[in-house]
Amino acid sequence: MRRAARSITQLPWPLLWGFALMLFCQLLFHYSSQAQLEASYQPLTNPLQASTYRGISMGSDQLLGYLLAIRLQLHDNQMGRHFSYSRIDYDRLVDWLEQISEINPRSEYPMLLASRVYSQTHDKARLRLILSFIERTFDHNPQLHWRRLAEASVLAKHRLGDLKLALRIAEKLALQPASVVMPNWARDIHFLLLADMNEFESAIAIIQALIQSGSISDPDEKRFLESKLLDFQQKLFESQQSGKNQL
Amino acid sequence: MFAQTIALFKYLMLGILSRRLLLLTLVLAVLAMLVGGFFSELAIIDSNQIVVALVADFLRYALGLFALLVITTSVSQDYEFRQFERLLTMPLARWQYVAAQVLVIASLCLWLVLPVLLVISLYSDWLVGLYWASALWLEIFLLGLLGMLTIISLEKIPLAVCFSMATYLLARLSGLISQMLEESVRLSDGSLTSRFVDLIFSAILYLLPDLDSFANNNVFFGNVDLLQSLSVQFYSTVIYALFLIAVCLVDFYRKEFSL
Repeated sequence: MRRAARSITQLPWPLLWGFALMLFCQLLFHYSSQAQLEASYQPLTNPLQASTYRGISMGSDQLLGYLLAIRLQLHDNQMGRHFSYSRIDYDRLVDWLEQISEINPRSEYPMLLASRVYSQTHDKARLRLILSFIERTFDHNPQLHWRRLAEASVLAKHRLGDLKLALRIAEKLALQPASVVMPNWARDIHFLLLADMNEFESAIAIIQALIQSGSISDPDEKRFLESKLLDFQQKLFESQQSGKNQL
Repeated sequence: MFAQTIALFKYLMLGILSRRLLLLTLVLAVLAMLVGGFFSELAIIDSNQIVVALVADFLRYALGLFALLVITTSVSQDYEFRQFERLLTMPLARWQYVAAQVLVIASLCLWLVLPVLLVISLYSDWLVGLYWASALWLEIFLLGLLGMLTIISLEKIPLAVCFSMATYLLARLSGLISQMLEESVRLSDGSLTSRFVDLIFSAILYLLPDLDSFANNNVFFGNVDLLQSLSVQFYSTVIYALFLIAVCLVDFYRKEFSL
């Protein structure tokens, strides 16, 4: 059985005023603490030189590299609160990532943070900084970082919408010597992007060169290349036909 | 003569070994594992390697300090309770006391690294665990000898511990100090004062062991020849240990003990 309730106007006025006052105080307190929390964000400091960190590490330089990477990874969590990546100074962030990569060149951690964590920004200028860092660091050890460069190409295409940059990165990956062992799909990104840019002739030429070179031993990869070759030849033919019809 | 030294060693060892020592060693091992567990939750990749390296380094410093405290306390009690005066009334040479203390330090270090071997083998390959336990034994042994030298010379525990830790950390930071010296030479005006300071620091660094004399933490991330690393550390430790024992003997023989 539901108990009947009195109308709010029947309540004593001091009680209502007291309630309103306490509500106002609570809102004010919440607002001020929020503002205080926003102001309490500690920005990234400038990193020291990698050689200095190596000296401080007392011989445990690789461990220190990992610990610095974890510290950087946790930077957006301060005072039990998560701060948006938009508050992070990406120039300093990249500087940190570069120093950590230099301290521990055999670790994938800074590159992983760049390609999977800090690439989630919606700011295109910041994303470009991250992609540029990935490209630079890849040159130091292509065998270790090929996967991150492949991811960078995908990020450039889908998140940045810059097909030229995506193509340049993919080309860099495809042009790596055979001594850099990576799966075929990583090198295939190049001609797939060329096709996306309607550069069918170049894509066809690359696939034909790959097939004729005899470097492809995997039958599945060979089948994939042949199907793509047919597909691109078909699309090239159709685009040529439509061009003629327009003339 | 050797029987007397061994008897003295046993007597000194009995004064050190206790349930409290075992308990503290186990507490340190558990604490290291808890710290490692926390970091394994944070790491996105390579968490196993990070944890084992972190646990190993935590144990290195914790057990090093622990060994130093135990050794300095033991010798300082000999001063406090006038044990030296009593020992010297017996047919014992001073070098026998130092030899017995060296054996005590070696045994204590062995006792301390056994749980380390277990913990590191648990997280990593047993071969790496064996390397770390052996390398850590050499490192703590060297630190223990340094502690023995400082407590015999300075006679007070806080002074001896601080001096030993400062020397140990100075040796471990030799890379950073060398780098700072290089920078200071580059930036200095070449004055007599700056050259003199540079000379002093270079001389200090020349006396201290370098990083090759300590356990190499990078073994947990691969690409390190364990045997070579250990053999380099072994030779370096032998040289420095003999040097420290020699200084210790000179200092101990110079001390006057009156009954």
